[in-house]
Amino acid sequence: MKRIHLTVLVTGLVVGIAALVLTAFGNPGNMGFCIACFLRDISGAVGMHSAAAVQYVRPEIIGLVLGALVMAAVRGEFKGRAGSAPALRFVLGALVMIGALTFLGCPLRMVLRLGGGDVTAIAGLLGFAAGIAVGVVFLKRGFSLGRAYRVKTSEGFALPGVLVLLLVLLLAKPAFLRFSESGPGSMHAAWPIALAAGLVVGALAQRSRLCMAGGIRDAIMFRDFHLLSGFVAIFAAVLVGNVILGKFNPTAAVQPVAHHDYIWSFLGMSLVGWGSVLLGGCPLRQLILAGEGSGDSAVTVFGMVVGAAFAHNFGLAGSADAMADGVFTAGGVPTNGRIAVVLGLIAVAVISVANLHREEKKQ
Amino acid sequence: MEQYLATFHTHLSAMLTCQALQAAGAQARMMPVPRALSSSCGTCVRYAADGDCRALLDRDWEALYAEEAGRYRLLAAAEDDDIR
Repeated sequence: MKRIHLTVLVTGLVVGIAALVLTAFGNPGNMGFCIACFLRDISGAVGMHSAAAVQYVRPEIIGLVLGALVMAAVRGEFKGRAGSAPALRFVLGALVMIGALTFLGCPLRMVLRLGGGDVTAIAGLLGFAAGIAVGVVFLKRGFSLGRAYRVKTSEGFALPGVLVLLLVLLLAKPAFLRFSESGPGSMHAAWPIALAAGLVVGALAQRSRLCMAGGIRDAIMFRDFHLLSGFVAIFAAVLVGNVILGKFNPTAAVQPVAHHDYIWSFLGMSLVGWGSVLLGGCPLRQLILAGEGSGDSAVTVFGMVVGAAFAHNFGLAGSADAMADGVFTAGGVPTNGRIAVVLGLIAVAVISVANLHREEKKQ
Repeated sequence: MEQYLATFHTHLSAMLTCQALQAAGAQARMMPVPRALSSSCGTCVRYAADGDCRALLDRDWEALYAEEAGRYRLLAAAEDDDIR
C-alpha cells in the first residue's frame, strides 16, 4: 500500500461534514453535495429544461469552482489550458450526466447516500466501479483524448465567469430565473452557507486532487489507494455524522431521492464510471480542473449542463420512490432513460475504441 | 543507478515511455504524479537507470526530475507548445 497523504483524508472529512451541514440547513436528504443534481438544477433555473421541481442556481457549484480557482491562483497553479478533444469531452460530459441522473446522483452523492444508510446505492457503487474497470482496460490499451496545450489565461475564466454571472442573477432574482417552489430544487441551505461550503471544499479538493473516479482508477491500475482514501473518509464522516444526528437509516426502504431500480442504477453508474475515466476525472474533479484554468474541463461541465437538460426534456432521468399517506409509489428509470443509458454505453464504447493508440489498434 | 521521474501530458505518453524504458533495460514503472510536482492527477514514470534516458521520453513528456533522498530536482522541462 502506497503512502496516503493527510490532505486527502482531511478533505474527505471536510466534504462529509460540509455535506451534513448543508443537509441540516435545508438541502435534500443525502444531498449535501451532488454535482450532477446541482448542475441539473442550474440547467433548470436558466430555463434549459422545464422540470419544475429541480430548478435552482446552486451556490455550491459556484463555490466549488471559485474555491479551486482561488487556491490554484494562490499556489501558482492556475493555467489556461485546452485543446484535448473538446467536442468529445462535451459529449462525454453529457453522457456522464445522463447516467448519473438515471441513478439520481453523481459519484459524490452516491457516497453520501451510502453514508446515510441508503443500501439502494450499493448497485450504483458496483456499477461505478465496473465502469471504471472497463475504462482502465482501454487506458491500458492506449486510449487517449490527446494532450492539452497552453492557451490564453482568459480561457481559464470561461466557466468561473459564467458562474459569477449566475451568482449575481441568483442574488438579483430577475423574473426569467426559475426557482422551484416544491421538490428537491426548493430545498436548499441559505446561499451564503452553500457558497461558503462550496468555496472551502473547492479549495481543499484542488489541494488534494480529490476524485471519486480517480480513487478507484488508481487502486485498480497502480494499487495506489491515496485518492480512494478521500472517498472512504467522506463515507466515514457522513456515516458517523448521520448516526450522531439520528439520521442513519440503513434500509432498502424509501430513501431520500432514490429508487430501487438496481439494474439500471448499476448500468447508469457504469456509464458514469467509464465516461469519467475517459475524461480523466469525476464530475467534481471536472469542476475543480475548470477552476484551475482547464478549458477542456469547462467544456465538459457545459456538456453536463446540456446533458441534464436532455435528461429532463426527453424523460430520461430516474424518478424517486415516494411514500405519501402510507401509500408507496415506486420510482425508477423510465424506458427512455434505459434506452439512453444503453445508447450512452455504446457511444462511450465507440469513443473508447476510436481513440486507441494507432499502433495498439494494429495488434 | 540514479532514480528519475518523468511527467507527461497524457497517460498514453507515460505508458509508451515506460515501455520504451523497460525495453532498454531500465527499471521503470508507472504511478500517479506526486502532488508536489503537479496539480494534475495524471500518470508519471519512475525509473532507475545509469543516465536520465531523455531520448526515450515520448514526445508529450512534460518534465524530468532526478529523485534525491525523497526530493525531486528538476532536470529538464519540455517547451510548453501553446496555441495562443
